[in-house]
Amino acid sequence: MIERMLNTRLAGWIDERTNAVSFIRYHLIDYPTPKSLNYWWAFGSIALVILIIQIVTGLFLAMNYKASTVATGGGFTVAFDSVERIMRDVNYGWLIRYMHAVGASSFFFVIYLHMARGIYYGSYKGPREVLWLIGVALFLIMQSTVFFGYLLPWGQLSYWGATVITNIFGATPVIGPWLTELVRGGFSVGDPTLTRFFALHFLFPLVLFAIVILHVLALHKTHSNNPTGVEQKSKKSVIPFHPYYTVKDLFGIGVFLIIFAYFVFYNPTGFGYFMETDNFSPANPLHTPGDISPVWYLTPWYEILRMIPSKTGGILALNLAFILLFLLPWLDRSPVRAATYRPVFRQMVWLFFVAILVMGYCGHHPVTPVYNLIGRIAGGVYFGFFLLLPFVHKFENPKPLPEEEGA
Amino acid sequence: MRQTVMTVTRPIVFVAILVCAVLSTKIASAVEATSSLKQAHINLDKKTINKGLQVFTDVCMGCHSARYLTYHDLMDYPMFGLTRKEAQDLSGGQPLTAAMMSSLPPEAAKQSFGVAPPDLSIIAKAREGKGDYIYSLLTGYGHDPKGNIPDGNYNEYFPGHRIAMPDPLGWLNRDASDTDSLKEQARDVASFLVYISDPHQIERHAIGKWVMIFLVVLTLVFYLLKRAVWKDVKH
Repeated sequence: MIERMLNTRLAGWIDERTNAVSFIRYHLIDYPTPKSLNYWWAFGSIALVILIIQIVTGLFLAMNYKASTVATGGGFTVAFDSVERIMRDVNYGWLIRYMHAVGASSFFFVIYLHMARGIYYGSYKGPREVLWLIGVALFLIMQSTVFFGYLLPWGQLSYWGATVITNIFGATPVIGPWLTELVRGGFSVGDPTLTRFFALHFLFPLVLFAIVILHVLALHKTHSNNPTGVEQKSKKSVIPFHPYYTVKDLFGIGVFLIIFAYFVFYNPTGFGYFMETDNFSPANPLHTPGDISPVWYLTPWYEILRMIPSKTGGILALNLAFILLFLLPWLDRSPVRAATYRPVFRQMVWLFFVAILVMGYCGHHPVTPVYNLIGRIAGGVYFGFFLLLPFVHKFENPKPLPEEEGA
Repeated sequence: MRQTVMTVTRPIVFVAILVCAVLSTKIASAVEATSSLKQAHINLDKKTINKGLQVFTDVCMGCHSARYLTYHDLMDYPMFGLTRKEAQDLSGGQPLTAAMMSSLPPEAAKQSFGVAPPDLSIIAKAREGKGDYIYSLLTGYGHDPKGNIPDGNYNEYFPGHRIAMPDPLGWLNRDASDTDSLKEQARDVASFLVYISDPHQIERHAIGKWVMIFLVVLTLVFYLLKRAVWKDVKH
C-alpha cells in the first residue's frame, strides 16, 4: 500500500520539487538494516515514540498550566493550583498529566537501556563516533529539560530541588554567585525562575527533536551496528527497514505501551519514584523537607556530585563524568566492537553498569557513612572503567570474530 | 542461534534482577515506614465516601479546608451524587461554585494552635502511607510513655509525636462502646480524603482495564505480523 502511494503521479510531482518522497523511501523504507539485530535495537524507536508522547501531552498541559508563584492563600500558588485544576477540572487532564509524568521516567529508562546497548556492543566506535557524540549531547539536553520541568508544579521538591541544583553554579570559580543569580533570575528561586524554566522547558524538547533528526541522519550514513560488531554490508546480510524493522519495532513499541499504560492507569506515581510524595505539598521556602533527593533517573549523577567532599570538586567530577562519556570512542582502542568477543571488556562493562545502578541507589538515600562509602566505591568503578579502557586492548585476547553473514 | 538467544536473554535477566532488587528495597522501606501504621481498609464506595463527607463537614471543616473541592463537585462527582438541595444545605448560603473552606481564618487558627491547619484536598497524596496514615493519626492519640507531651498533643503516628491538632474524634476519652464507631468514622473520613485527593481514580481504573486489553491484543497482532513478515528471513 505504501509502495502504491509513493508511486502515484502526485508523489512523483512532489518529489521532483522537494525530494520528500525519495527521502522517505531512503530513510524509512529501503534503508538497509542488518538482519541480525536483536530487540536491544528497538529502544531507539521506542524513545522516539516517548519523545512524541511528551511533546504532545506537554503541549496540552501548557495550554492549561500557569507559571506564576502569586500566592492564592494557605501556602498555595497559581502554579500549584493550575496543576490541580488540570488534574480535576480539565477534561482528561489527569490522563494527560499522568502520561507526561510517567513518560518522563520511561524516557530515561529506555534511553539508559539504549545507551547501555551502544556501550555493550561497541556501537560508539568508528565510523560512528559522531553518532555517539550527538547521542550523549541529546542525553544532556534531556537531563536539563527534565530538570526545568520538575520545577513547574511548584511543590516542595520542585522548589528545593531547583534550589540545590542552582546552588551548584555558585561553586564556579570567580563568576559563581553571579552565575547562580543569572540562572535563577534573582537571589533565590522564585517567580522569575519559574517563568524562565517554563519557557526553557517548552523550547528544549523541540531542540531535542531537531537533534534527534541529526542522530538518525548520522545513523543512516554509517548504518546500524549489530550484535556481532562485524560490519554487515553485503546484500545477503541486510534487509530493507520496511517491512522488516517497522513490524519488529512496532512489536517492541507495543510491549512498551503495555507497561506504560499499566503505570499511567494503575500506578501513576510509580511507587513514589515517578512522582514523589513530598511534591504534593506546595513549595514552602521556610520549611526544608527532610530528604531532598532528585528523581531516580538523576540520582547516579547526584551521587557523583556529593561523593566528593568539596563542592567545586564535586562539580568537576560531574563534568568529568560526562566528558568521559563523550570521549568513549577515543578511549577505547580495541578494534573489536561487541563485548561478546572481548572477555576483559565484557567483565568491565557489566561492572560499569552495576556501578551506575549502585550510585543511583546511594544517591537516592540520605548521606550516611555507609552509603557514602558504597557510593564512592561505585564512583571509583565508574571512573576506573574509563581510566582502564585505553589499555585493555594491549592484554586482551578477543575471541575469534564471526564472518560477515552471507559473505 | 542458541548463542544469540543467550546473549540477548542474559542481560535482560540481569537487568530485571537489578530492577527487582532496587524496587524491592524501595517497597521494603515503604512497608517499613508504613508497617507501623494501622490498616485503614480504605473503601472507595459511595456509602463510605458519603459518610466520610459527613465527618469532614461536621468535624474537620471546623479548622481544615478542601480548597480544590467545591459544593458543586458534591453534585458532579460520581461517588457523591448529592442533590442540589443537599449541596445547598451544606454550603450554608454560599454559591455552589464556592470551595469548601473552613470558616476559621488561618491566622486565628495559628494563634490558637501554633500552626495553620493544612488544606486537606490532596493530603492523602502528600503523606507516606496515604489513607492508612490518616486513619492511624485519627486513632493514634494516647499517653506519652515518656511523659513529656501532654495528653491531647501526643500522637503515636505523628512524626516527632507532638501534634498541634487536638484529638478531633475524641479518641483519647472514648468509652469501650464508642471504639468501633470512632474507628468507622476514621476509616470513612480517610476514604473520603483518599477519594478527593485524586477524584478521577475510579474512572482511571475503569478506563485502564480497556486500554490494557486493547494494547495486549494490538501487541499480539504486531507479534504475529512480525512473525509472518520475518518467516522467510534466514539467519
